[in-house]
Amino acid sequence: MSTQLYQQLLATTTGLLLLTAVLQVWGRTIIRAIGLLVVQGVALAGLVLTVGVRAGEPTAPLVAALVLVVKAGVLPWAMARGARRAGATRDNAALAKPAVELIGAAGLTVLAYAVSGPLVGEAADPALRAVPVGFSLILLGFWQLLIRGSAITQLVGFLMLDNGIATVSFLISGGLPLVVELGATLDVLLVVLILGALLVRMQAEQGHIDVPELRELHD
Amino acid sequence: MSALLAPTLMDAGLLAQLAVGGLAVVAAVLAPPRARNLAAGGALVATGLAGAVTGVAALLGVEAGGVPVPVALPLTAPLDALVLAPDALGGLFMALAGVVVALAALFGIGYAHGAAASRTGWTAFAVFAVGLQLVPAAADAISFLLAWELMALGSTVLLLADHAARGPVRRATLWYAVMTHLSFLLLLAGFGVLVAAGGSTSFAAMRTAGVAGPAADLAFVLMVTGFATKAGLVPVHVWLPRAHPEAPSHMSAAMSAAMVKMGVYGMLLLTLRLLPAGPRWWALVLVALGAVSALYGILQASVQADLKRLLAYSTTENIGLITTAVGVGLLLRDSGQSAVADVALVAALLLAVSHAAFKSVLFLGAGSVLHATGTRDLDLLGGLAARMPWTSGAFGVGALGAAALPVTSGFVAEWVLLQGLIHVDARTDRLLAIVIPVTMGIVALTIGLGLLTFVKAYGIGFLARPRTSAAADAREAGVAMRTAMVAGAVLVVGLGLVPGPLSQALAAAVAATGVASVNGAGLAVGAAAAVLDPVALTALAAAVLVPLVAVNVVLARRHPRREVALAWGCGGERTSPRMEYNATSYSEPVVRVFRASLQARRAVDVVHPDSAPMIVEHMSFTQETADVVESRLYLPATRALARAGDLARRVQNGSIHRYIGISFAALVLVLVVVAL
Repeated sequence: MSTQLYQQLLATTTGLLLLTAVLQVWGRTIIRAIGLLVVQGVALAGLVLTVGVRAGEPTAPLVAALVLVVKAGVLPWAMARGARRAGATRDNAALAKPAVELIGAAGLTVLAYAVSGPLVGEAADPALRAVPVGFSLILLGFWQLLIRGSAITQLVGFLMLDNGIATVSFLISGGLPLVVELGATLDVLLVVLILGALLVRMQAEQGHIDVPELRELHD
Repeated sequence: MSALLAPTLMDAGLLAQLAVGGLAVVAAVLAPPRARNLAAGGALVATGLAGAVTGVAALLGVEAGGVPVPVALPLTAPLDALVLAPDALGGLFMALAGVVVALAALFGIGYAHGAAASRTGWTAFAVFAVGLQLVPAAADAISFLLAWELMALGSTVLLLADHAARGPVRRATLWYAVMTHLSFLLLLAGFGVLVAAGGSTSFAAMRTAGVAGPAADLAFVLMVTGFATKAGLVPVHVWLPRAHPEAPSHMSAAMSAAMVKMGVYGMLLLTLRLLPAGPRWWALVLVALGAVSALYGILQASVQADLKRLLAYSTTENIGLITTAVGVGLLLRDSGQSAVADVALVAALLLAVSHAAFKSVLFLGAGSVLHATGTRDLDLLGGLAARMPWTSGAFGVGALGAAALPVTSGFVAEWVLLQGLIHVDARTDRLLAIVIPVTMGIVALTIGLGLLTFVKAYGIGFLARPRTSAAADAREAGVAMRTAMVAGAVLVVGLGLVPGPLSQALAAAVAATGVASVNGAGLAVGAAAAVLDPVALTALAAAVLVPLVAVNVVLARRHPRREVALAWGCGGERTSPRMEYNATSYSEPVVRVFRASLQARRAVDVVHPDSAPMIVEHMSFTQETADVVESRLYLPATRALARAGDLARRVQNGSIHRYIGISFAALVLVLVVVAL
């Protein structure tokens, strides 16, 4: 792979990641949030493949396929299924107006660029220079967790945070060993599957899946 | 030969304690329930005796080679080797702990039941005993803290053992656990300051580093507070009157007679060995702490009706006296009166030894009473002297010791203390001219109230007629319990009769001159030009008393005993048990005199029949005394903490978004800090 192609692929995938993350913060429908997550999963898989092939990892296609299947396939499918069974279509309980969300997201993206400077340094490697994108993803995921009210859109935020962590780790270390990647992916998968079951229970018992209403502590 | 062999003998003694203590754990775990008391208790008696022998050897000046502690610390800090090597002072406290552990374990063979006789109970006791005996052997800060924590761990577990059966145990354990951890943290911080300033964890290096100035002051304040907490000095005594009564009695004896002494040992270690050249105010702090504790402790003890609680408060009193003596000794050393200072320091050690002896007897006696009657309430006892002669005799000897009457160890110790105080030359030093007379007054008042307290404890509990059927049906304790109590009582009287050799050894342990043994048994205090020879005095008293008693006996034989009946009693009794003085009424004058500091609340409840308001159907009197320190200091503090906790609940309100927000804010903050 030529350096130019590598740079272009890197820019495309990381740009796509950032774009999907920013687009997440406005718009309230659940199907749109899940759709953006699918795009993000595809972009992440592309990034993994690009970085892995460039680094000469023999298992790179395998890891990329795993990421693609789980992040762009199984997880969104499980969430869409949970949302359908819970009958949820929109996030009606968000804690902030769209304008506030957008301003916050912009601020956090700037912060991510500002803080990753000392961590990455004056690196010449284009992969390292893309690390701020990963940080943005982490912060934006956290932001979504914080301001969204519906359990599904919060889960989307959580997965975005996880995507951010994966992005940073791939960009910095050129990919993780297959075993570690497998373990982390299975963890997330389990979380989503359990939450999918929980959503149905929530809907059955409460009549809604709005997290801010769940304030009472029980022993 | 002996010079070559001696160090290895000392190390063998230390290793033997560890080995036999480990054996006790094995016995506690493996022995079948029936044989467990005997197996584990027997092994612990051996552990205690090994400690006693090793300690005495160290006290007599056998040099220790040093046993390295095989502990791998996961630290990169440059620590010195962990070494067990007791010096003479440590040897004294190891011997003291060893003897008390042996007595308590022997008593426990007959006494332990329920949770205390379980695997956990005996294992915890073994851990406690080994920790207790090795604290004074430590020659560096880390092994000291290790042994200290072992001691705290074992005692907490054993204290908690009985929690399922009795509710107050849980509360007592909570207080104890909190205070003992506070003590550990303060010591850790104090040693940390010393290590940072001196550059080494070994005691010898700390001393040669000669830490002074603010670092030494800080270390002193931290460590004295930590040691005072363990020793049960006011105002950090609050765990003591709770934990001692609720612990199994053999454990109470070990805690009160030996464990709190480790606080005293710590103070001596700090002021004599680690930081010997402290400023004057250190000594004044110790005198003030000690004097307040002594007076407050005995005042509370004198009004208690719960026998074990009474003994617990009396522990605070005795530790207070010891601390006062240490403080006076340091003050006088600083003033250049080293001869009298030495007397005060020897008095402190004599008080410690004597308290260990009589307090173990008293707590074991209280355990025996509890075992026989099921109650510790003096108001429900009485008449035990006829039913439990061995227990009564031993407890009586212990009470004599606690009241500092001849011929017991308590008398000797307080005699030496007063000799020291009286012979201070305060003519040129204004501070001494104020401090010494006030101290003497407090010590005298304490001793007086102590006499009253133990007359009450023995008179109400053991003499007169039984007040309840539980007391009337009491049976004497078994062989092991009796043996332990009598052995303790023999120690109390023995140290009182032959104080000379011990005093001489104690003087050597704190490098004191002028206190020597005379005539093989007696005690000469050079600075005071005073000699105490209890054997001679006893012989003299016997020469006077024996003919008197003989004449009395002969006269009594000639006139047979006559029954005296009430003239108009209609065959009734002169008194009923209800009319006897009880513990509450006996201490009533004290409650009245000291009502401000005891805060006694009393209520007289009179019930009249509905038809006749002039007739009394039923009448009851209740009186409660409060621990002022607790109600004025600890309750407000715990309330403030509870309020702070309520405020914290506003943060912790169950909203997931709030939790996410907090962690998000923390993450952003960290990132910003990193970026800057």
